[in-house]
Amino acid sequence: MLLKELVEKKLTCYEEGFDDWKDAVKANGVPLKNEGYIDDSYLDAVIACVEKYGPYIVIAPNIAMPHSTEGAPGVYKTGIGFMKTERPVHFDPNDPEKDARLFFMLASNDSEAHLNNMMQLADMLSNDDLVADLLNAKNDEDVLAVAAKYSEE
Amino acid sequence: MLKVIAACGNGMGSSQMIKMKITKVFKKLGVDVQVDHNSVGAATSMASNYDAVFVSQNFVNNFANAAGRGVKIIGLKNLLSEQEIEEKIVEAGLDKK
Repeated sequence: MLLKELVEKKLTCYEEGFDDWKDAVKANGVPLKNEGYIDDSYLDAVIACVEKYGPYIVIAPNIAMPHSTEGAPGVYKTGIGFMKTERPVHFDPNDPEKDARLFFMLASNDSEAHLNNMMQLADMLSNDDLVADLLNAKNDEDVLAVAAKYSEE
Repeated sequence: MLKVIAACGNGMGSSQMIKMKITKVFKKLGVDVQVDHNSVGAATSMASNYDAVFVSQNFVNNFANAAGRGVKIIGLKNLLSEQEIEEKIVEAGLDKK
């Protein structure tokens, strides 16, 4: 189960909220930075990417997937950083459908491992009940409970 | 066989997500399809080799040229919604190819 793995690898964080989406992206990257997956240059690239292409990283209501390119400078390991905020972060002031509270930052320098992560992420996020439970999670303990609840499926 | 491509800003995130989801929906609809994925930059120059391009709504305008040449450009709001994907595939007539 991907969620359990993210907790075990210390790639999770929980925040109240952010007025600026750029601060949210940076906070999402902190655990990945601490664990040696990325450095600040990758976070700058992710922010530049959103500025260039718009808030397409909000892939579904409440769900953002910040990332730049595979093998980008500043990426040292392949993994996903998870952040949950209590307040929605606005990526487009005119479009509430581009608000996010669940953040999954992608870092990859290994396309095979990344694809495996993405398949697990797609499966997980396609489960509306799981997403609803995750929106109520406030800490690692809650996330592990969500992981346990859905891991038999 | 139908040939489609999923595209996103960099080709590693949402385009892979779209590829997985549309592959699933096409299978459900019984459509024989080849699904590729790439960055928007690369996909714009390759688009005329495909029957359809699937992108986040944000990127639809990047494919105006291909649309003019008859390629179906499918913009998705919720990349995870199989219902939205299925509706748009049917609307574009891609299930009949």
